[in-house]
Amino acid sequence: MMTNNPGKELQNLRNSVGMTVALISFGMMFATLFLGYFLVRSNAPTWPPVEISNLPMLLPFLSTLVMGLSSFTYFKLEKDASHRKHFWFATMALGISFLVLQWNLWGALKASGILVSNGNVPSMVYAFTWLHAAHIVMGLMLLMWLGHYLFRKPEAVTALTLLNVGKFWHFLGAVWLLMYLMLFVL
Amino acid sequence: MAFVEQHIHDEPKTFWSKYIFSFDHKVIGKQFLWSGIFWLLVGGLLALLIRWTLAYPGVPFPVIGNLLFPNSGGVVPPDTYAMLFSMHGTIMIFFAITAILIGAFGNFCIPLLIGARDMIFPTLNMLSFWFGFGASVLMIVSFFLPLGAAAGGWTSYPTLSTNLGQPGAGQTLWLISLFLFGVSSTMGAVNYITTVITLRAPGMDYFKMPLTVWGLFLTSILNAIFVPVLGAGLLLLTFDRVFGTTFFLAGAAATSGKGDPILFQHVFWIFGHPEVYILILPAWGIVSDLLSFFARKPAFGYKMTALSLSTITILSTVVYGHHMYTTQMSPLLTQSFMTLTMLISIPSAIFFANWLGTLWKGSIRFTSPMLFSLGVVFVFGLGGLTGLYLASTSIDLYLHDTYFVVGHFHYTMAASVLLGGFAGIYFWMPKMFGRMMDERLAKIHFWTTMIPLNGIFTGMMIMGYAGMHRRLYNPFIYEFMQRLIPINTFVTLCAIAMGLAQIIFLYNFFKTIFGKNIPQASANPWDVGTLEWQIASPAPYYNFKEVPVVKCGPHEFGNPNLKDGRDFQYQTEELVKP
Repeated sequence: MMTNNPGKELQNLRNSVGMTVALISFGMMFATLFLGYFLVRSNAPTWPPVEISNLPMLLPFLSTLVMGLSSFTYFKLEKDASHRKHFWFATMALGISFLVLQWNLWGALKASGILVSNGNVPSMVYAFTWLHAAHIVMGLMLLMWLGHYLFRKPEAVTALTLLNVGKFWHFLGAVWLLMYLMLFVL
Repeated sequence: MAFVEQHIHDEPKTFWSKYIFSFDHKVIGKQFLWSGIFWLLVGGLLALLIRWTLAYPGVPFPVIGNLLFPNSGGVVPPDTYAMLFSMHGTIMIFFAITAILIGAFGNFCIPLLIGARDMIFPTLNMLSFWFGFGASVLMIVSFFLPLGAAAGGWTSYPTLSTNLGQPGAGQTLWLISLFLFGVSSTMGAVNYITTVITLRAPGMDYFKMPLTVWGLFLTSILNAIFVPVLGAGLLLLTFDRVFGTTFFLAGAAATSGKGDPILFQHVFWIFGHPEVYILILPAWGIVSDLLSFFARKPAFGYKMTALSLSTITILSTVVYGHHMYTTQMSPLLTQSFMTLTMLISIPSAIFFANWLGTLWKGSIRFTSPMLFSLGVVFVFGLGGLTGLYLASTSIDLYLHDTYFVVGHFHYTMAASVLLGGFAGIYFWMPKMFGRMMDERLAKIHFWTTMIPLNGIFTGMMIMGYAGMHRRLYNPFIYEFMQRLIPINTFVTLCAIAMGLAQIIFLYNFFKTIFGKNIPQASANPWDVGTLEWQIASPAPYYNFKEVPVVKCGPHEFGNPNLKDGRDFQYQTEELVKP
């Protein structure tokens, strides 16, 4: 089937398929981490193990809140064309605050004597949050790239670009929610 | 999904945009081919060093021994031996085979065979090559470190690969290099999958795609799903080595806490088993096509072949435990993994029978690509059958980590893939470089490769069955092994012969590309009807001026209704009916 507007159609297809496949790949990486978590947890005699009974609770809760809010502001960014730039700023600010909160979390962990080499569970708490934060940095770079177009060439920002960046950002939010539940809540 | 037409891009003019940072899938394919051949030579040299050490322990390696190991007078030292086999495996699997079969053929063939002008994400494609290149550089650097490159085996099991087993930076570089390579593979996979889904020419249904594309497509799906699994494992192991986490540390290696070295084995093989199919699927695809092309018959049971390849792809994801029978898994699990593994023989037998069915009563043309394809049929038959022994838990407990395993996996993922790769190179050479390779030299190359190759790997299986363990510097210090010395020497002599035979290939390859007075190949030198043979040789930078409209399958040969003396149809032609 030939289309009348090949350029548009091309964008459409490659964005939806390409990003979905890429997210499956990213998802498998995080799924592997979670598999490790379940194996460790199922072999642990008690849960939570003694070495992490004093995990900080407030900071990860705030991180989750911030992440959820940023997903919401991104959602508004996509829908509300007239306030797009405001919501872009809000999403960026929330994304950066998330990183700041994670930084504080690592500091708080260290302060309460939970070091990276203290065993399986501290190893997981650190390594999982590191890897997630590294992806948040990638997400922020995508947001910056989007911002560059929003402010310089707003006509080049298509609904699909927004969808794509959004898919990645919401995905990171979902991964964080799982991490939060597994490492800190359950 | 609907078809989309890409625009024709401007022709690249400068040296950099044309040959180095090119967006053209054909140039990127060739870049992968060059780097793959380079690594094939490095990996081959490491193989010869290993074989030499096994047959002539304490004897300096001829010619370049003194250059490589000046401190030991040209003899491979025991600690270096572990590095040799680790790097041989790593280099061959990732940097040679993946680069040639997936990087080179994937890039070169997918757009041409489905009628597209380029990959869907050309920039991502270029990045994929350069990430792979960065990984290569790190791997090369690791050879020159004070404590040498990684030596924990290509599987890099902890505790061998933790700081206790591998104190040097070589192992860390190995981990980072493979991680980068994984990023490169995943980028490629995302690109290939999206390209096949969205850029097939009008009329090119999934069941009209050449089987080469099927093989590469399925490989990419496995790559996209399972390479990130390895990526996670590699990162966690890097954290263990660099930041002091304790995921895989246990026993004497643990400074505190207790991790689980077996966890790495799980992660590794969840990736590792699909990986062997990642390597073999493109070769299966290429061979399935070439057998039909040169038997001048439609591929027997084309749809069943495509479906059995897909079935194997799915099954390959749930059999990884057969690599770990000796890790005290629960018997229920080993039995399940055994059953699932054995199940793979059903789809394998289907497409194997289809290969034979394709050949049956064909008017076979014994060209060099066909010879290599027939070679794959033979060696894969042997490799596949010996897999059944290893799948069986009770036999595997005896054969685990013996040379039987080494022989088996070399038959399947080294011999089959290598021969399949050569078949592809000889076949697509005119489309890649616009020139035919010398057929006579190619046939000599085939026989001088095929005969010693079987000597090597059959010899290995016999030694393994007699109990020879892999990864030992000198297994013959054990008395019960000493009666195997003659056959071991025979294997080494075969390896040297096979190594020397590759000089014929290199000469032929370089002469064809750079030689003078080599005639230009015609557009369709093999009389084949798939899309790439309807455009000029070498393929122009835009591939297809007019996007082709596909009307029949890729293997329409020997139709008795054809009138004009041809025995094949182009895919753009309506199927001739009486």
